[in-house]
Amino acid sequence: MDLLLNEQQRMLQAAMQDLLRRDFPKETLTAIDAGTADAADGWPALASTGALGSLVPERWGGVGGSFADAGVVFEELGKGPVPGPHFSSGVLAALLLQEGGGPEQQAERLPAIASGEAKFAVAVTEPEYGWDADDVQVRAERTADGYALSGVKLHIPDADAATHFLIAARTGAAAVGFFIVPADADGLSRRRVAGFSTGLGEVRLNAVAVGEDALLGGAADGWAAFERAALKAAAALSAYQVGGTESVFQMTLEYSRTRRQFQQPIGRFQRVQDHVIDIVNHLDAARWTTYEALWKLDTGRPAEASVRLAAALASEGYYLACNAAHDVHAGVGIVREYGLTLHTKMSRTLYHYLGGPRHHRRRLAAALGLQAE
Amino acid sequence: MDFELEWTPEQQAFREEARAWIERNAPRLPDHADPANLTREEYERQRAFGRLLGAKGWLYPTMPAEYGGGGLSMELAMALEEELDRFNMPLPPYYDTGGKLGAAAILVWGTEEQKAHFLPMILRGEIRTWQLLTEPESGSDLASARTTAVRDGDHYVVNGTKIFVGSGHGAEYSWMIVVTDPEGERHANLGWLMTPMDVPGVTVEKMDLLFVGGERGAASGIKNTVYFDNARVPAFNLIGGENNGWKVAGTHLEIEHGLLRSSVRGDPLTERVLSHARNARRGGKPLLSDPHLVDRLVDFYADSEVTRLLHLRNYAWRSQGRQLTYEGAQAYLQQKRSQLSKARAVLDVIGPQALAEAPDEWAVADGHIEAHQRAAIVDQHPGGTAEIQRVIIARRLGVGREAREEPGRLR
Repeated sequence: MDLLLNEQQRMLQAAMQDLLRRDFPKETLTAIDAGTADAADGWPALASTGALGSLVPERWGGVGGSFADAGVVFEELGKGPVPGPHFSSGVLAALLLQEGGGPEQQAERLPAIASGEAKFAVAVTEPEYGWDADDVQVRAERTADGYALSGVKLHIPDADAATHFLIAARTGAAAVGFFIVPADADGLSRRRVAGFSTGLGEVRLNAVAVGEDALLGGAADGWAAFERAALKAAAALSAYQVGGTESVFQMTLEYSRTRRQFQQPIGRFQRVQDHVIDIVNHLDAARWTTYEALWKLDTGRPAEASVRLAAALASEGYYLACNAAHDVHAGVGIVREYGLTLHTKMSRTLYHYLGGPRHHRRRLAAALGLQAE
Repeated sequence: MDFELEWTPEQQAFREEARAWIERNAPRLPDHADPANLTREEYERQRAFGRLLGAKGWLYPTMPAEYGGGGLSMELAMALEEELDRFNMPLPPYYDTGGKLGAAAILVWGTEEQKAHFLPMILRGEIRTWQLLTEPESGSDLASARTTAVRDGDHYVVNGTKIFVGSGHGAEYSWMIVVTDPEGERHANLGWLMTPMDVPGVTVEKMDLLFVGGERGAASGIKNTVYFDNARVPAFNLIGGENNGWKVAGTHLEIEHGLLRSSVRGDPLTERVLSHARNARRGGKPLLSDPHLVDRLVDFYADSEVTRLLHLRNYAWRSQGRQLTYEGAQAYLQQKRSQLSKARAVLDVIGPQALAEAPDEWAVADGHIEAHQRAAIVDQHPGGTAEIQRVIIARRLGVGREAREEPGRLR
């Protein structure tokens, strides 16, 4: 029992920190946020670190790393926070393809994901928002040589950046399948939804025709595969949120030392100290539940309760840490150039991703046997 | 990053040896919901078992063998503690602040003669010690102690009052913070004294308290007021030298503030409450059909898990010799606060039956649930209030200051 990164993970961490310093410094991240720079410019550099193949086996061009390794990678990306389809593509889509894809689909798609050539977004949620199978209303209707997809997907992370989608659609009354759809398919339109979020978008499907081979694993019901993939992905997403919370903590601690009011550093006031302590408590609660969840996934232990707990605490913790940081920073915190709002926005954006605290807590209750028969 | 120990064949063999020995020697004692109900006879059996453990170096397994400890690795100590868990017994198997706190301070600050004199009897379980820190006018501000120790030849003459002391059934020694220089600067006016409890002028009187959990590990059940009226203590017993008591105290306070191993095991209350909830019915329906109560139970579980993991982190890092800073106080704060939120969750889920005390037939889980309702309140102050933990965290993180506060010396 060491509870420390191993040598290889420390090297991985250093490589990711180099990437952030070189290709995603704060000036670049705020420019991307303002729309005056393009996150895609840093994509080749990001791909060259192997981050997108963290969880893709070596035979498909990935690194074949452990979940703990992926945790290191995504924690560092979260520190930026570096936006973009790295998580949607390199983690969620990569895992979904591995859990539910057929051999040919895996051989064709996973190397492209690992290299960064393809950018996948996974489109599950809709205007009647939710992460259960019952929430999927987009229809997949049989045609002579495949399916026609119709309906609206909403609040889809990285919808505007994706080259491909994995779209959840109802194949029958009680079955939801996943379809591989190129972003430029006829009848598909996508756009970013403006607002206090980073990269959430809408995907409209108007009788988008796809072949039989687009159906993931050829399975009319792919929901169980998605649940398995989403559970594992949630642990990596938690690591990203831990990284974000760590940055918010460091930023706030530093500010408590340098900002002077009433002739002293504001951190000398216990009211201010309490905010910083709340942040570090949220951070460490999320960090250690996340690390334990990653370890359980790596060692084949039952991981559902751990992942659900980590996911709930990481979402809530990032959100609340940002609130506390704004209390400490006051006016300075809302100046976009300062950088705190990148995290505030990201904490809101990710709050519901893969389910959100309410969803994860409900699943945690089930995993603990706390459900009425 | 491993969250569990991987046992080598040698460690596994040790574990099996320990298990067999414990099976043969451990007394089978009732699991009192309120440790105040521990009888004298039960206490004597705990002490006898402690002396057996002590003779093998297993009472304080990680302390140096040359002074009567086991000289064992943290891993083997953990194996030992896990085996004792099976008998619902912590290590040491009774309330004793000697080995984990007092002896740690003596090991760092004592002279060779003092170590040779005090450590073996502590570590072998020949004496049990209490800590005497709090006074009626000196609580959170521990350095404001007023009990005096005035040098008179080869002795110190001690006068004053200490409260919230020890447990039931007495102790052979205590260690205490005393004022050795009434004219000295704050923090430079204190001494740290090992005091035999049988010298004339020492009076112990039981306090009437809501509940006493003790400093984790073996719950003490009872706290006392100790009066000193011209008690004469050998000058030899002053540890760390003249007016150096605050630094000596820094060592055991560092350990007490969240570095004790007992919390790594997790809270047995968690499974007791969840299992009650799975089977309970209200209004003819399963309790769990109420989503509000399920939410409460999930919050309860989350609090328990976070507390366990923060303690586990501290224990693992400390056993590797890593210097901790804010983490001890953080885990302690989390534990204190989670006790309160858990008590409320329990009251919500179980209802007024949570307040029924053993041995009443309506008591839940043999009275452990009712005892916890009281313990949660009581747990807020030992080892420093939640507010004091926050002060320590802020100083150790360096909030508002360039230099972070240094932790107490552990070696």
